[in-house]
Amino acid sequence: MSVKSLLEKLNILLSEEHREQLAKYKSLKKVLRALRREKAALKESLATTEDEAARKDIESRLKIVSAQRKKGLNVLKKLKSERNNKP
Amino acid sequence: MFRRLLLPIIFLTLGYGFWLSEEFKTIAAGVAVFLFGMISLEEGFKTFTGGTLEKILRKSTSNTPKSMLFGVVTTSIMQSSSLVSVITISFLSAGLLELTSAIGIIFGANLGTTTGAWLVAGFGLKVNLSAYAMPMLVFGVILMFQQARHLKGSGYVLAGLGFLFLGIHYMKEGFDTFGQGINLAEYAMTGYGGVFAFAGIGILATVVMQSSHATLVLTLTALAAQQISYENALAIAIGSNIGTTITAIIGALGSGVNGRRLAVAHLVFNLSTGLIAILGIFQLIIVVSWISSRLGITADNYTLQLAVFHSLFNIIGIIVMLPLMGLLVKLLEKLMPIEEPEIERPMYLNESLEEVPDAATEAVRNETIRLYDIAVDVITNGLSIQREVFQSGKKARYVIRKSKEVIDNDIEDLYERKIKALYGAIVEFIIHTRGGYAKGALKEELNALRGAGQHVVEAVKGVKHLRKNLLRALKSDNVYLIKEYNKLRFLIVRVLREIEASRGTPEGDTQVIPLQLDPLKLEIEEKINTISSGLDRSIRKNLVNVRSATSLMNDISYCKDTCWDLIEAGLVLFSSSDRVDQNAEQSVALDEHEIAAIIETPHGEPQP
Repeated sequence: MSVKSLLEKLNILLSEEHREQLAKYKSLKKVLRALRREKAALKESLATTEDEAARKDIESRLKIVSAQRKKGLNVLKKLKSERNNKP
Repeated sequence: MFRRLLLPIIFLTLGYGFWLSEEFKTIAAGVAVFLFGMISLEEGFKTFTGGTLEKILRKSTSNTPKSMLFGVVTTSIMQSSSLVSVITISFLSAGLLELTSAIGIIFGANLGTTTGAWLVAGFGLKVNLSAYAMPMLVFGVILMFQQARHLKGSGYVLAGLGFLFLGIHYMKEGFDTFGQGINLAEYAMTGYGGVFAFAGIGILATVVMQSSHATLVLTLTALAAQQISYENALAIAIGSNIGTTITAIIGALGSGVNGRRLAVAHLVFNLSTGLIAILGIFQLIIVVSWISSRLGITADNYTLQLAVFHSLFNIIGIIVMLPLMGLLVKLLEKLMPIEEPEIERPMYLNESLEEVPDAATEAVRNETIRLYDIAVDVITNGLSIQREVFQSGKKARYVIRKSKEVIDNDIEDLYERKIKALYGAIVEFIIHTRGGYAKGALKEELNALRGAGQHVVEAVKGVKHLRKNLLRALKSDNVYLIKEYNKLRFLIVRVLREIEASRGTPEGDTQVIPLQLDPLKLEIEEKINTISSGLDRSIRKNLVNVRSATSLMNDISYCKDTCWDLIEAGLVLFSSSDRVDQNAEQSVALDEHEIAAIIETPHGEPQP
């Protein structure tokens, strides 16, 4: 690797934009982890709940958490590709 | 007590008068027809307002001489200074006129009334007016039945003039016959005592008839029939000039401070003019005789001399008062200040913060949260929910159950004074801060807060629209409508409760706020869909008529928008304090379309 490209990489690492992007990425990962935990907990309670109304409620929430996770994963993918496409 | 007795007393007196004298009946009928003519004329001119009249007014009152000329011309055409003064008050209150211009018009209107005196004295008492009145009435009434606005208005004006002429004719006839029996001139009073007494009669007659013109015509006809002395007739003319201010005073009662200022200016002008005329009446009589002889008016033509007198003392009044007009305006502005409406002022924003971007952003956040809290108060009030009931902390269903009474308040005023004023101050602060200092992330945050404030404003506007039909439904006996509107109220209260609960969520909780509100979004969409789909069924079952149903349909939409606006505002205002976390949470939160997509997914196994 040439000195020039090394300097470029260092410049990117030290740039404010890069730091902000990294913080966004980390924060999103944190949210997605929380959602995964919630989804697992909901699935577990769905398996043990027999009351019809309660089941319906859990199912709705499960749908929401799934949609949120799906949306979050797409955002994460986009962030990753943006990072990789940077010169 | 006196007010309640006044009308029966007037009726009894008139009844007794009619029984006593046939002539009195004719005179009274003449006055009544004359006043009816005035009302018709006023009605006619009213149809021409709302465009042309306003344009003319604005162009013709750009300075004091123009305003005065305008007053003279309009009063001469309309033959009613009262009508001109009332219209002037309305224009002043609407902010289309300055106080100085309005006073100029009033001064001119006073002079304009003298043209009436000239017309009646020089023309009306010699010609058989009823001959002109009859065709005017016929054509006027035909035009009044036309659909076109201008034709209808012309009809009212023409019929009004016809009635005026007819009224004068009856008054003249009455006095002529009256004069053959009794001589009122025997009751004539001389000296200053007589002047004050008859000026008082002039004031009283004008106040009762609400028209100085009517008093003047009555006086002229009485004078022509030699029923009153010349000197006393002059005193009545002075009195009528003072009494005419009553219409402006009544008109000003319902208007703003500017209208009241004008009414006082009118009273001051007419009182001063009247006082000058009373004190100098004997000198004025000499001047009037001299002017009359110059104009070729014979010494025994008292009616035309009265017209000269009327013009003279009004001109003197204008000459005396015109230099004092500036002083009068200043005095009125000082004594009658415009009360500033009590508007909501910012609590956290101040200019010194504009230099510290972080502190400024925090202040904007706090102020927008305050705006939200005030909006919650306005919204619950708008939904006819007592503050204590809402603040009880009980569930939304309980709050609605306890809120059956209709709360009447001016939500438009609350919106203007509290919401719009405070949001305006926030936007202004943001513009100054952002323009000068804030950049990058702070700029983004300020934009988000500005957007949140806009959502708060929109939510209040939604409730404002919803409220009209909501109150109508609550007052009605249609159980179905009450139930449906209660469902809408329930949804909004439910959203407010959920947002309130989210505000207390400790940081670091796995249930981050933007995501926590997503189930609520789903609930709203589902309930709104249920209410909407139930509407068609209810029309088919005749539970509600189509008109109310379409109103409900619109209100469902307002309710949905209000709920979403509140949530959107809550997401920005009450989510994580860390901006990066906040952005991450919000990027995952579901929007309206994504929520709709979930509803469309059939029940069963959720998405992987």
